[in-house]
Amino acid sequence: MITLLQTLVNGVLYGGILSIAAVGFSLIFGVMNVINLAHGIFVIGGAYGALVAWSTLGIDPLASIPPLMLIAFILGWLCQRLVIQPAVQRGNPVAALLVTFGFTLVALNLLTVAFSSSVRSISPSYSFINLRLGDVSFDLVRLVAFACGLLLIGGLGSFLRFSRWGRIIRATALSELGARLCGVDARAVYALTFAVGSAFAAASGVLIGMMLPFTPAEEVTWTVYAFIVVTLGGVGSLGGAMLGGVLLGLVSALTQTYLGGVFTNMVMFLILLGTLLLRPNGILGSAFKASR
Amino acid sequence: MARTLLVVVLALLLFAALATLPLFLKAFYIRVGLSIFLSAGFAVCWWLLAGFTAYYSFGHTAFVGVGAFAAALTLRAVAAAAPGLQLAAGLLAGLVTAAVIAAAIAWPILRLRGHYFTIAMLAVALVLGEAVSAFPVFGGSAGLSLPNIAPSGMRVEAFFYWLALALLAIVMAIAWIISRSRLGYGLAAIREDEDAAQMLGVPTTRFKVVAFVLSGGLTGALGAVYALNLGYITTDSVFRGSLSLEMIVNSLVGGMGSLLGPVIGAAIMTGVTKLVLADLLEYHLAITGLLIVAVVLVAPDGVAGLWRRTRR
Repeated sequence: MITLLQTLVNGVLYGGILSIAAVGFSLIFGVMNVINLAHGIFVIGGAYGALVAWSTLGIDPLASIPPLMLIAFILGWLCQRLVIQPAVQRGNPVAALLVTFGFTLVALNLLTVAFSSSVRSISPSYSFINLRLGDVSFDLVRLVAFACGLLLIGGLGSFLRFSRWGRIIRATALSELGARLCGVDARAVYALTFAVGSAFAAASGVLIGMMLPFTPAEEVTWTVYAFIVVTLGGVGSLGGAMLGGVLLGLVSALTQTYLGGVFTNMVMFLILLGTLLLRPNGILGSAFKASR
Repeated sequence: MARTLLVVVLALLLFAALATLPLFLKAFYIRVGLSIFLSAGFAVCWWLLAGFTAYYSFGHTAFVGVGAFAAALTLRAVAAAAPGLQLAAGLLAGLVTAAVIAAAIAWPILRLRGHYFTIAMLAVALVLGEAVSAFPVFGGSAGLSLPNIAPSGMRVEAFFYWLALALLAIVMAIAWIISRSRLGYGLAAIREDEDAAQMLGVPTTRFKVVAFVLSGGLTGALGAVYALNLGYITTDSVFRGSLSLEMIVNSLVGGMGSLLGPVIGAAIMTGVTKLVLADLLEYHLAITGLLIVAVVLVAPDGVAGLWRRTRR
């Protein structure tokens, strides 16, 4: 019973991280209809950014989130404007996907040269602290990361829901033509979307870096996980990303406890496949642009 | 008719010329040629589905892996047979197993369109890769080794050069025949507008399944050769996302519009990687990435498309 409870707690905490790591991907996929293979590199880039800030300047990883988000925002904006938008205008959906892949290779190479491919981790003073509630233990770092993730998702949600630019982004996602007829500069919206998506990827990377060891090559994992979470929950829906992330975290934790670690990835990928075949729109997905 | 004959004769002459090259070249260049033929073969197999129907598979490495492991396990079973028979058994095992798996997943997966098909194929590759590494029959993380089947007295790299060249010729011939057949026109109609094609009486599902199974099966056969050439396979070396990506990148670099596109793309990308970047290993990935971005932005129809445009 305690094992089950502990597994569920671990699953939900891990799922929160999976959610925050997927929202940027979901936003870009939902609004721009671009599969952003560079997502994982922004996640891992965030982790390395936090590592540099923590090891050379002594800044706490949590405090480094806002400046890193700003940097990722600018990088994402430039990347979209210089490389992705021209590819999107070619009209071929795979052109955009390939360009993000090319960008990933360049960034991965630079990261590997700068930091080598060895495993790194960030361990601030409060890591390794365990809180206990009855017989269930909570990893403090994971708890903090979970809370930060929720805060960030809440922030993004209210930005999309209540702000002027959020409304414009949602309108463009529903119908680019309609938005443009109302005087929206769709290219600026896409650049903004990509920049926001990148910023959230970097923020999630900081949280991930606090919890798990990482290497530059890990970026593939996080792109794939974002894929699974978004497909499961529904493209372009924040609630979907949260639900998908938590479900996936639970599945992953339960498989690890009851079936063994070798099977966690297999079960996750099977769920991706099953969702695609049975309900391609995802649990909360509606007939969004990308799912048509 | 005369033009068809001309194309066939020219192609045969070209392949004959390529086949004589190992007699003059150094081992290193033979190996470069071998890699080019293998990646061109994979790219053409991928293009068989994507070029005709615009169903972009992101997980064709699944079939490479299935073919490779099927060949490895079969060769284990027929270890006593003559090398020629072993080769035939390995190739057949790769072809049939991959085709059977393709046929098994074809109906559900081809119902998905666009990005969803792309992601689903990625999932298939990931599931199969994880399954293979989870079960000890496939050697687990240690992998499986394959016997050397090159005939004694022949240089190993030359043997695989000819083998890969022959398979590439077969795959290209099949693609060429399809492009001129009823099936080819039906698939092209699916690419342009699947719903319209269906309404006009094209059996879309059947055509898509045929293209998918052919593409998967041939990829499996090439996967068997790939494994034999490596001599030793693990899940990571044959169920490799970058293999899927290479097929896509090569086809797009060369141009999706014609059968020659994937081959030209593979020649350029593999050639550049092996010859030009051999001394720049550290920045190899970055240069490949820049090359991909440049091609997509400068030559959206690939090198073949660029050539067509200048002729116009």
